[in-house]
Amino acid sequence: MPELTSTYVDSLAPNAAAIKNGQGLVRKKSFVELHQSENGELLFGKCAGSGKTPYECSVDFIAADSPVFRCTCPSRQFPCKHALGLLYAYTEGQTFTAAPVPEDIASKREKAEKREENKVKQAAEGVEPKPKKVNKSALKKKITAQLEGLDLLEKLVLSFVRGGLSTMDRSAVKTIQEHVKQLGNYYLSGAQIELRRFSNLMFGGKDQEQNYTYAMEQLTRLHAFIKKGRAYLQARSEDPELALDHESTIDEWLGHAWQLSELKEYGLVKEGAELLQLAFYSFNDAARLEFVDLGYWLDLSAEGGGIHRTFNYRPYKAAKLMREEDSYFEVAVVPQLYTYPGEMNARIRYEAVTPRQVQGTDLQRAAAQAHRSYTEAVKKVKNQIKNPLSDKQPVMLLHAATLGVTENGQYVMTDEEGTRLLLEDLPSVPQGTVELLPFLPAAAREDCYILVMFEHNLDQGRLRAQPLTVIKDEEMIRLLY
Amino acid sequence: MSTALLQELHQEYRRLYIAGSELAAGDFRLKRLLPQFQQLGERSPVFKKIGEGIAALLEPASSDGPAPGVQLQEHTLLLESVLYTQGTIAVDGTPGPLPVRNFTLHTKQPYRKLAPVLEALSTTGSGRHEIVVDAYKEGAFQDLRLLPPAVAALSDPYSELAEYAMTNILPSYGPGIAGYLLESLDLTGGRSEVRKLEVISRVGADEYLDQIFHAAGNGSEEIRAGAIKCLGGYEQYLDHLLEWSTDKKKAIREAAYTALAAGGSAQGGERLVEAFIKKKDREMVAAVLARWPVAEVSTRLAALFMEELKAAPQDNADKKLTDKVWDELLPFITALRRERSPQMDEIYSYVLQEYARFSPLGWITLIEHAAWYKENTPDNAALAELEALDKRSARFLPNYFRAAQKTMSPKELFNQFCGTFMDKLKALVGKEAKDAAQRSQLLIHTIEEQTVDIRRRNYQVEYDAAGVRQYSRDLLPSEEIAADWDPRWLDWFIKQDAVNLAGTFARPGHQGVRDYLIGKLKEPYKRRTYDYIPNIFKGLERAGVPEPERLELLMTALENNNVHTPYTFEFYLVKLMERFPASYASRLEAVVPKYRYECKQQLEYVLNSLRSAK
Repeated sequence: MPELTSTYVDSLAPNAAAIKNGQGLVRKKSFVELHQSENGELLFGKCAGSGKTPYECSVDFIAADSPVFRCTCPSRQFPCKHALGLLYAYTEGQTFTAAPVPEDIASKREKAEKREENKVKQAAEGVEPKPKKVNKSALKKKITAQLEGLDLLEKLVLSFVRGGLSTMDRSAVKTIQEHVKQLGNYYLSGAQIELRRFSNLMFGGKDQEQNYTYAMEQLTRLHAFIKKGRAYLQARSEDPELALDHESTIDEWLGHAWQLSELKEYGLVKEGAELLQLAFYSFNDAARLEFVDLGYWLDLSAEGGGIHRTFNYRPYKAAKLMREEDSYFEVAVVPQLYTYPGEMNARIRYEAVTPRQVQGTDLQRAAAQAHRSYTEAVKKVKNQIKNPLSDKQPVMLLHAATLGVTENGQYVMTDEEGTRLLLEDLPSVPQGTVELLPFLPAAAREDCYILVMFEHNLDQGRLRAQPLTVIKDEEMIRLLY
Repeated sequence: MSTALLQELHQEYRRLYIAGSELAAGDFRLKRLLPQFQQLGERSPVFKKIGEGIAALLEPASSDGPAPGVQLQEHTLLLESVLYTQGTIAVDGTPGPLPVRNFTLHTKQPYRKLAPVLEALSTTGSGRHEIVVDAYKEGAFQDLRLLPPAVAALSDPYSELAEYAMTNILPSYGPGIAGYLLESLDLTGGRSEVRKLEVISRVGADEYLDQIFHAAGNGSEEIRAGAIKCLGGYEQYLDHLLEWSTDKKKAIREAAYTALAAGGSAQGGERLVEAFIKKKDREMVAAVLARWPVAEVSTRLAALFMEELKAAPQDNADKKLTDKVWDELLPFITALRRERSPQMDEIYSYVLQEYARFSPLGWITLIEHAAWYKENTPDNAALAELEALDKRSARFLPNYFRAAQKTMSPKELFNQFCGTFMDKLKALVGKEAKDAAQRSQLLIHTIEEQTVDIRRRNYQVEYDAAGVRQYSRDLLPSEEIAADWDPRWLDWFIKQDAVNLAGTFARPGHQGVRDYLIGKLKEPYKRRTYDYIPNIFKGLERAGVPEPERLELLMTALENNNVHTPYTFEFYLVKLMERFPASYASRLEAVVPKYRYECKQQLEYVLNSLRSAK
């Protein structure tokens, strides 16, 4: 069993409310029984709920790193507040009397063990999981439908361009919504999102002029997407293998959700990686109808491993039941790291993770990966953002020889060659950070490493960057989260 | 490459998107741009391509070519891509060093802890105050990232939150915060900027006097007042403060008075007395002096007070004059509230002597204040004065009683106030009996104030998940009662049916009080019964009734109550219920449905603990 601290229990909770509710149960003395197994591996108890019979909940540390939560309550939140409460009761030092493991849990443990055994056996026998059979004619049908869907989308987009944005009124929102719905029939979930995004950009902000600028850019992006998507789908339908494109993000744009097995198939998996989270934030993506937990991670295990992103999508409908990610202050040791097709900050995923304390050498390794010349970094950024379907806000770790501020209050970082980079808060980041720079300790104002997010402002023709995190020696100062 | 030209073209394309691509053909502003692109196109293939695009838009080739909409999309896409490669990172001006802050804060809080606080501080809606206060108590504001929102909270539309940031959160950053706040101080601003100054005056302004002085002279009226208040106690600004104290604007004068009083200089005192004498600002100065008394000023005002009292009207013939004089006298009371001196003794003795004159004028407040003053400077002379006053009007009995407490032994006290009353009571009839009953009630009330439900105590509510804190009140401890009060009081209280006091004064071995209190429990329930039930049980404990008996009485009381459900059970009762034997569970379960509100929660909580104890 790992050392149980309230911070550890906090980290298991799906969200802040669950923490509060779990602690509340302890305070209310709702737990009518608290037990632990002889060897201390299993904590279990009964907790009074609104019904007559109390809920039976347990936390099983038979695999110390991945506790198993069980509860008889009907909550879909996982772990539920009862299981968390049980752990909080333990951390608070309440007495857990020794008792034999209840029968039902013993049998569940047995089943789990068998499953595990089977897995090991299969692995030992070297049985590769059978490759999924692809129904080629169905796939071809799907591709044809997608092509039709793109035609439909193109017609709609062109009608907007022809008529002019100024003639669009609220009734257009309805038309768009109808189209969004239709696109679902054509297997184009990616297009649905982008069309909804257009609608949000066009009607969302208060400043109409700014809305036009954003909406126009989104229209050209839709155009590029239709063009590229159509070419790709046509090529794919002619390809007898009908393979996915594992190098560009076009499949994701079309709405493909990559499965780990597919990524593995294309060799996009790496054994044994160590990741350091540099920044984190969570935002509401109204076009996706999801909350997105976004983490920026540095791959410590490889030379120039680069900065990757983790995405945790929480659809509105299920947001309450899903785990909300949080800032991660340890090094994540990941046995298998999956990388999605993409460019600078490609998406990564992993299934299992073990935390390890951050050491000074980790930050040195991170610093070693920083770009030292802004001219080159900017070149790289521009190379990416000129492509209409690329991520327009690449994130990079840059070395700063000095940090400063001009007379008119612009924050600036300068590299060793004397190239200056303007630092500014970006509208798409939920929190401003530049005004925190003067609070940096004196030592961290020069010869430091700064994680920045770039964004090009079309109206001003400026490429700006917002600082997210500052690394100096053995300290990491997170300006965002 | 000419970025400006590309930008211009982008603006023109943007215009076409807004107006509609159909209008592109023959557009004269596009036409105007075309030659430049053609010229540049001779050297650069990119410009050539862009130029061709413009030309195609201006003159749609034929009906079978791509629609103007498609063309516009194509060309804009190309233009955008080019523009994205042209973004400048240049900075206007040369960067200097970052400003230095006098304090550094860490950034160790995780997202899930920070985000709710940031949201609470940047949105509107209910429940925000609690989140912020909790976060502050947990020390979350020591995280750097919450500092700017904490400053922004000074202008929160929910003023309680703004005040909380001003009085608690921001001062907790120490003196370093002053410089930071001054940087963003808007001299034309309103309430939020004044709050900044208030924070600065709390943490100390020593290092930033120049800036504050500047604000005091140049800001909006509110700002000036706030800044002036920060300048009290700094001699170098005394002349300015004196000048501001004669300003035309009331708010400025008030601020200057405040600063002068807080500074405590001789010249400042002189100015305050002057202002007081002039009568116009008398009330304002009095309020200031009540907070920051200045010794010399008090002495001079006291002399003036006596003079004006003596000159007060002899009768109420001119009602208007009486009121006017009273309005001028009241500020003396305010300003001299904390003053104690032979001079003041004399003044208030004079007031009491002149009872017959001042009372008909309607100046009861003045007499009350005199009584209060005398009560708090107890000597034999004052006691005699209060006794005489009590004879004039029973409303001063409490003052007399409290003064007597300070000079008499417990036995003397009882004899003085009850020994005689009780004898008299038997014989009295009619009005005199009524008077005596009124005096008894006054006495009971006075003693209750000193002994019953005093000493607030906070406790964490265990039955509520949110862990709200509530408070309960305690009785004066038995030992203090035994030491300071005559034992005969208990019998007197029982006789008077003063149940709260009987409970408070109850002691072991007194059979009467035990019977009396249990008898009170058996009386039929009335709406107000619950108010004294906690004190009955506290009394029973004091009377030495064994716990099992008391628990049974409490259980029975819960069962018998059919009349009124209180909102919440007193802390003491809940603690007592927690000691219920497990066998009460079923009885308790039966009564729970009768109760509502928080009581119900409390009973359920007790019931849960009973069950788990089983």
